[in-house]
Amino acid sequence: MSEQEGTPHGIDRLRGKTTLKEILEVATSFEATARDFYTELIPQVSKRIRYLVVELAEEEQRHYDLFGGLAKHVDIEEQIKAEIDRPASDSKFSDCLHLPDLGENPDDQAVLQYAMGREHTAMTHYSELAETTPEGPIKDLFRYLASEETKHKLELEKLYYEIVYRGGGV
Amino acid sequence: MSDIDYKDRGSILKPLKSLSFFGRSPVTEKIEPRAASANYRGFHVNDWTKCVGCSTCQKVCDNAAITMVRIPGLEADPIKGIRDERPAIDYGRCCWCGLCVDICPTGSLALSREYVHTCTEDQLSSYFVLPDPNGMHGVAYDKGWAKTADADLIDLERQDMHELPAEQRIGNFSEMVLGYDDQQALLEASRCVQCGMCHDACPTHMHAPQYIRAIWEGKMEEAVRWIYETNPFAHICGRVCTRRCEDACSIGHRGEPIAIRWLKRYAMDAVPHERVKQIALANKVDTPTGKRIAVIGGGPAGLTAAFDLAKLGHGVTVFEAQDQPGGMTRYGIPEYRLPYDRIDRDIDVIRSAGVDIRCNVRIGQDTPLDTLRAEYDAVLLAIGLQEGRQTRIPNSQNDKVFRAVDLLAKITANEPFEVPHCAVVIGGGNVAMDIARSLARLQKQQYGHVNVVITALEEQQHFLADPDEIKEALEEGIVIRDQCGPQGCEIDASGKLIGLKTWKVISIFDENKRFAPRYDEAGETIHVCDTVIEAIGQSAETSLLGSELTESLAWDRGRLKVDEDGRTSEPWLWTAGDCVNGPDVVHAVADGHRCAASIHAVLTNSEQT
Repeated sequence: MSEQEGTPHGIDRLRGKTTLKEILEVATSFEATARDFYTELIPQVSKRIRYLVVELAEEEQRHYDLFGGLAKHVDIEEQIKAEIDRPASDSKFSDCLHLPDLGENPDDQAVLQYAMGREHTAMTHYSELAETTPEGPIKDLFRYLASEETKHKLELEKLYYEIVYRGGGV
Repeated sequence: MSDIDYKDRGSILKPLKSLSFFGRSPVTEKIEPRAASANYRGFHVNDWTKCVGCSTCQKVCDNAAITMVRIPGLEADPIKGIRDERPAIDYGRCCWCGLCVDICPTGSLALSREYVHTCTEDQLSSYFVLPDPNGMHGVAYDKGWAKTADADLIDLERQDMHELPAEQRIGNFSEMVLGYDDQQALLEASRCVQCGMCHDACPTHMHAPQYIRAIWEGKMEEAVRWIYETNPFAHICGRVCTRRCEDACSIGHRGEPIAIRWLKRYAMDAVPHERVKQIALANKVDTPTGKRIAVIGGGPAGLTAAFDLAKLGHGVTVFEAQDQPGGMTRYGIPEYRLPYDRIDRDIDVIRSAGVDIRCNVRIGQDTPLDTLRAEYDAVLLAIGLQEGRQTRIPNSQNDKVFRAVDLLAKITANEPFEVPHCAVVIGGGNVAMDIARSLARLQKQQYGHVNVVITALEEQQHFLADPDEIKEALEEGIVIRDQCGPQGCEIDASGKLIGLKTWKVISIFDENKRFAPRYDEAGETIHVCDTVIEAIGQSAETSLLGSELTESLAWDRGRLKVDEDGRTSEPWLWTAGDCVNGPDVVHAVADGHRCAASIHAVLTNSEQT
């Protein structure tokens, strides 16, 4: 588990964020939390559905790398201290730093439901940030982040319906 | 008569007179090639967009003038009933009788009004022609002899199947389909053109053309022999097969496909059971091999493999967790569609082959899987998809929310349960139809009314259920509300279930045809009910494998990884049926054959282990 996950300390940090730099830090932390959660879940689930958790961990790692890289981007560097309005979705987003208890041997449906909920929260959060931010590179950045989370959420939803409603998997 | 004076040279001006003829108009008339009559039987034309390569034209040609030629690049899809072949005509043999045109199921072939072709001796092969729509010489001629209603040899309409009307069937579980009589079976069999598209499409490649011909010839025992060549679930598939064969039937391109399933049913019902057993076991090996195989699961895949292996002389024991064998055919399909006595007949044939079926034995609980591994030479896992998936929408843990497969099993086992006064079913597949129609019958019996609603994500025309099932459900008074996505179960303050909340589905597939429903929250509906039944996907219960074996086995995205013969990564373990391949009886039968052949090959050392 990463150092910020699920701790009051991590949530308090989030609540204090008002600059782009700090928002990106929390976003990166958000992805790291998920990555570590899924990574630790891998040995706990049946090998039958392990592929699913492995793929989720890989996707979160990809996002982690992406978000971490964005903070160092030259266009962003100048804006990094700009103040950002805290969106209404902030609390839901921070709630996701609390990790759920999926039980001892969660099935594929439980893992997917958690993953979809998490992506939905992130998508809403970035969308609201984009809406409240004036036109410019920061708005574009939030739009991009929202788009990334939306794509991942839609992909998970398709997988969910294929597995649960169409008899995919065992 | 005096002799002609040939020495008389005539007038000196005679040459000039002859020259004068050059100045006259010709007296001969120039004639254009004459157009053939409207119905002329000239060279063939073939519309390749209609032709499916069924080879019916080749089969009807008494002069053997037609050869089917494979055309690389053309679509070939047995499931759709399409072959990448087209007919080529040898005009050294063709007598232009036009039978190929009259019998062409799709109407792609015609004879044109073109009739002239000449060539030098070294171009004789030019009389062997692959007709296309452009004509023999690339010049468009009108069609001559072509498909007309009068000359069509294809009977486009199938024989109606007699069924109990809705008012007679709704209050009971009697079989609703009554079967063909002799005359209907003969007429239906006579519609078949023996193209074999059905054979290609069938997962187990049943010899449908052969058994249909045998029915047409009145040779029912021969029909049964052909059926048992590939399918020991003969009665069952004669009633509930998903009939991929009929989807591929070439007659179906312009008319109604041959009722292949009903003809199979007719043949099986026409021969006494004891005689069926003799026919089915005619090629059983007498000498035991001394090898022992354990089969886990007494459904179609497990029992098909058991039947094949027993006929080959192996000792086969089937371990079935339920009270009786048959798997989902018995515990998932209602009796009004598949009477239990027909399941019993198929299983009796399998038992007669020497298969030892032990019921009420749950491997993993009553007997460890390791014991089977130690005591048998091979193990086949054929456990099906017994677990119903749950929506897990809010409040779906309420005690009035059931899984369809659980209720269907209770009905088969005659276990009592409280029949809902008002039920809402979630799902648009055959399982949804089965539970809805079963509950409707129970409601009619107990309360005198039917109050069942089916809700499904898809539009009704895209339901996964068989269209006949949908039609019959509607006839029985079941209400279908399509494009409804379940969002939650509604409960009152006391926790009592009072309804199902759905949102309107506005689209169901994404741009890549992947299943990805999108909803309109404004289209919210509360379906009032006292019971909700979930009939969505199903999954396999694999805990019998144990954690150690689960870890050592290779998996492929949630399913056991198998080779093309159904063998897992553990050399002693094979798996077949719905748990790996799905989704129906006939696929399970095909899987059972495949695994049995592989196990036999390994155990008899004809394949390197």
